[in-house]
Amino acid sequence: MNPRLLAVVASLAILSMLVGQPVVHAGSPPPQQFQGVTVNLLTFTGPQIAEPLQRRAPDFEKLTGAKINVVIVPFSDLYTKILTDMATGTNSYQAFVFAPQWMVDYITPGYLEQLDDRIKADTAIQWDDIAPFFRNFSAVYNGHIYTVPLDGDFHMVYYRRDILEKDGVKPPETWDDYLAIAQKYQGKDLNGDGKPDYGSCISKKRGAQGWQFVWSFVTPFLQTQGTAQGAFFDTTTMTPLVDNDGWRKAMEIFKQTSQYGPPEEMNMDVGDTRSLFVTGRCALSLDWGDIGSLAIDPATSKVIDKVGSILTPGSKEVVDFKTKKLVPCDATTCPNAINGVNHAPYACFGGWSGGINAAADPKVKDAAYAFLSYMAQPAQSSVDVTLGKTGFNPYRTSMFKNIDPWLKGGFSEAAAKDYLGAIEASLNSPNMVLDLRIPQNQRYLQVVLDTLMSQYLAGEITLDAFQKQLYDGWEEITNELGRDTQLAAYRGSLGVATKRGNLINRTVFSAPSPFGRRGLGG
Amino acid sequence: MHSRLQRLSSTMERIAGHVFIWPAVLIVLFLAIFPLIISLYLSLSRFQFVPGGFQFTFVGLANYNKLLFGSERNHFLGQMMGPSLAGALVFGAVLVFMAWRLVRYGQSGRFSAGGLFQRLVVDAIFGLLLWVVVRTLLSGGFPGTLVVTLVYVFVDIAVQYCLGLALALLVTQRLAGRRFFRVVFLLPMMITPVGVAYIFRMLTDTTKGPFYPIWSLLGLLNFSWVNIPWGARAAVMIGDIWQWTPFMFIVLLAALEGQSMELIEAALVDGANRWQTFWRITLPQVMPVTTTLILIRMIEAFKIVDLPNVLTSGGPGTATESMTLQAYIAWRTLDLGGSAAIAYLLLFLVTLIAVMYINVVRRRVAEA
Amino acid sequence: MSTLFQRKSLFTPSVAERTLIYLALGGWSIVVLFPLYWLLITSLKLPIDVFNGPYYLPGIDFKPSLDAWQYVLVGDLANDTLRNYVSTVIVAPTSAGLALLLGMSAAYGLLRFQYRPRLGGILSFIGCLVLAIFAITLGVPWEIAVAAAVVLFIILLQTIGRRFQRSLANRDIAFWLISQRILPPVAVVIPIYVLFQRLGLLDTYLALIISYLATNLPIVVWLMRDYFQSIPLELEECASIDGASRYRIFWSIVLPLAVPGLVATFLFVLVFAWNEYLLALFLSGAKSQTMPLTVAAQNSTRGPEWWYMSVLILLMIIPVIAMAIVLERYIARGLLVGAIKG
Repeated sequence: MNPRLLAVVASLAILSMLVGQPVVHAGSPPPQQFQGVTVNLLTFTGPQIAEPLQRRAPDFEKLTGAKINVVIVPFSDLYTKILTDMATGTNSYQAFVFAPQWMVDYITPGYLEQLDDRIKADTAIQWDDIAPFFRNFSAVYNGHIYTVPLDGDFHMVYYRRDILEKDGVKPPETWDDYLAIAQKYQGKDLNGDGKPDYGSCISKKRGAQGWQFVWSFVTPFLQTQGTAQGAFFDTTTMTPLVDNDGWRKAMEIFKQTSQYGPPEEMNMDVGDTRSLFVTGRCALSLDWGDIGSLAIDPATSKVIDKVGSILTPGSKEVVDFKTKKLVPCDATTCPNAINGVNHAPYACFGGWSGGINAAADPKVKDAAYAFLSYMAQPAQSSVDVTLGKTGFNPYRTSMFKNIDPWLKGGFSEAAAKDYLGAIEASLNSPNMVLDLRIPQNQRYLQVVLDTLMSQYLAGEITLDAFQKQLYDGWEEITNELGRDTQLAAYRGSLGVATKRGNLINRTVFSAPSPFGRRGLGG
Repeated sequence: MHSRLQRLSSTMERIAGHVFIWPAVLIVLFLAIFPLIISLYLSLSRFQFVPGGFQFTFVGLANYNKLLFGSERNHFLGQMMGPSLAGALVFGAVLVFMAWRLVRYGQSGRFSAGGLFQRLVVDAIFGLLLWVVVRTLLSGGFPGTLVVTLVYVFVDIAVQYCLGLALALLVTQRLAGRRFFRVVFLLPMMITPVGVAYIFRMLTDTTKGPFYPIWSLLGLLNFSWVNIPWGARAAVMIGDIWQWTPFMFIVLLAALEGQSMELIEAALVDGANRWQTFWRITLPQVMPVTTTLILIRMIEAFKIVDLPNVLTSGGPGTATESMTLQAYIAWRTLDLGGSAAIAYLLLFLVTLIAVMYINVVRRRVAEA
Repeated sequence: MSTLFQRKSLFTPSVAERTLIYLALGGWSIVVLFPLYWLLITSLKLPIDVFNGPYYLPGIDFKPSLDAWQYVLVGDLANDTLRNYVSTVIVAPTSAGLALLLGMSAAYGLLRFQYRPRLGGILSFIGCLVLAIFAITLGVPWEIAVAAAVVLFIILLQTIGRRFQRSLANRDIAFWLISQRILPPVAVVIPIYVLFQRLGLLDTYLALIISYLATNLPIVVWLMRDYFQSIPLELEECASIDGASRYRIFWSIVLPLAVPGLVATFLFVLVFAWNEYLLALFLSGAKSQTMPLTVAAQNSTRGPEWWYMSVLILLMIIPVIAMAIVLERYIARGLLVGAIKG
């Protein structure tokens, strides 16, 4: 044969083999979806939150070819770092895991990607399995979904089950009960080391979580009709809901708990109070879900199997906003009451969630979404929430059905049932309180409220002065930023119809919520 | 060829002055101007996110107004009570002193209208500051961040300098093991400020900190230093002193070690004793470095932020909050205008104090 | 008995004095070393040992564990620790060295030369610089902006610059330099971030080096000015008469005599750059984070993780201590005694 012809035929044969590869080798796996895509994901230094992301990134890469680069920065500066990156157009990060509490400042200028369509098209994420509060309120702003929930954050009360059971004391249902129990155990030795211990340990430090715990005291007096009522402002005038007797009573109780706590409670952040509780030095504490997992770990806990948890205490009296005075709970004033007590668990922080930078490449956005969905899917998330070090707390209804992963994670059966029961009760509550989601909410809360709370606790100002300055301070910010803007944002976050009569928020999926009417057309 | 080289070297010789200074000036200029101007603009505006991005709205002096006369006044200046007797006396005495100095200046030969005006302005601002301090600290009021920062700076510098000098003097003695001490005394300054703040948080913890047995012994278990304003401020000041004494120590040590031995030997030959050599020879030789050292350290001290932030976040109430911490909290919550306004007020304050300090020092040195 | 109180020479204390001095020095050493000792044992504790109240002696009070060290050096945090450590080791000494070089030259210049920058010239320069920077932030490519600014400056200098004859002096330049330290980092961090973003230098070592260089130059200049001042002018004049150039005088005569000051200043500037937090936080991204960030990051949602933080702080100060030990001898008097006399 002509050598030239032979060469041409040979090269054609080789070419066809290369091109026709998938056809020729029908049994090989399809080319990976996101091959060559790198996603930079920004979050804070762990091990909480960052650890599961870093651990599962290689698995995800094997599945889809996308490389997930988890970048970590100090927690206290994560908010500013995300904002600076997007606002200045640097866009070096395409995905974030952050607190939904910060969401509104990223959404208003249009930096965060809307996820409605992706979630609708995604069956693997099992969106309806996510507890209604997190999927209808926490992940949503102004009618659109912006985040993928990875964690469920709300406050609960923890107590020493062994001690309360021994003395036949029921766990607290109202804050007055809480105070009574704290008083009872203040000064007693609760962990057998000879030193007098404390009744109640709640973090009250300025610049930390103190102001977040204040809300758990206040909300049961203020919110009764469901999440869409809100507990911060009047939904027609945007005046602060602080000049009423509910706030007064709540702050008085808050201050009184200091008498039954450690002397430097005013300077303790949540790490300090947690450490006191898990070494057995407190009878009661108020915290997120972390104590549950810390308490079962022998490296951190002296109270393994001695801890009980319960829905945040409520109140038998609530505020009548016309008279600003407290009225007793009945069927009209407290439709969501349990045993005549109005509970309003505060979903502080919202639960760490994943968001996507709207300015990223479409392909990268797809990859980022796929990763966040992967993390949220039950196969992965159900395991992660049982491990203390991940910092992920339960947020799916399926997470309570099966107790085995919890037992595998180290919980005893009694501890698991108790912990999960309290979480389930909280998640089931239709009266959960949503974080304040208006522009510059940080100024209202972290500057005005936090400073005043600290001054009040330190005895520098009276309760009257506290109320007045809180009211004036908030009004000043509202006036500065524009009352109408703030009002529209506030109503948008709660899903309340605007003055123009348009329904802003709407449950995205028509599947009926298992918990009945949630106060909006759901 | 040779002449070209010669010309090059003589050119280089001529512009030597410029070669020495321009690189440094250019680099500092490059990074200094832009932030300065942007901060100024920020302090005169309000920052807000709006659909589509963000905007700066020009509001004139509103941010400054808020701090000095408006809703943040109690936070910034403090809660001022009517001057107590002690306060009024102190203020009166200083007023008289300033007036006397002005008269002396008027009588001196260097009088000029511009100079008088300058002094009047400086004295007026200084007087206002003193008035605020008197009415908050000395009259039972609550000092605001401005006064607290001033307290931090003056106490810290005074103690750090005396300690640093004492330690440096001790370590220049011919003792065995002094090299060990020199290295050890440097350590606190080498720890990152955030780290120092957390270390002190550990140390001052009354429930699980190392001084627990001492609190217990003193019966202070049910009492927390953090609940009283001055206790908390003391903790911040102790931390700052611990951290920055090495700075004074090492600079003074280098200066002491660099003393001219001839003068000292000459004095010894003349029969002077140790105290006299110290006062008349050592101290004056150390003076130039001292003035620089105190100026540098003072400027740094005004920026104190990590210790109050980590120890108490500025609490109880606002008792330990410094100006920079107030600016930091405002900045963190997107009140960029307010934060820049505080920073600029800090700039004015420190520039004023630095200028006054340099003038005093120069006059002292010139008269010496 | 009297020999106890007698001094052998000016710098050799008597026996009695020696005991007192040792007491004082020892006392302050304990004050300095105790917190570091506490750091060390905290790094060997499990969380429960930290929470449970003060334990002082590893092995006796509590069982020491290498958990924290493991986590930081080989465990989950290892990659970040290593990378941030390398960044710090590269950025800090480089910027300190450059700061020393430029700063001591400027200090010498301010001392030996008379600068008379004309006010008109300065204002035009600043004006053009500002315009250039604004142009850059508005998106104009930096080459064009700089070229235009230079041209504008030259024009202004010839016209307006000639008009205003009022000039400043050396001490004004020096004061301007140190006044750059007054504004707290929080006020300048975002503008600097934007500046480096436009130059495309975010998340690079260069950005950090330049920033630290600029922020630390004023300190170097002021400190070295004083050290140089203590060197007698006659030495330089003699050399000048002998025909040495300014550069030669500076390098061969002035610098060797100022070594203690140089060493002390270098140590400072190194420490400042090593430990700086806010600028590092913003100018760095995935690749150039430094160690102070890792330390601060140990304060997470669970509160400060004292054990990890202690490990990181100790890791951070070890190289600096080593450098201090090595450099400390240069601050000693020994090297000088021959030099001045000779």
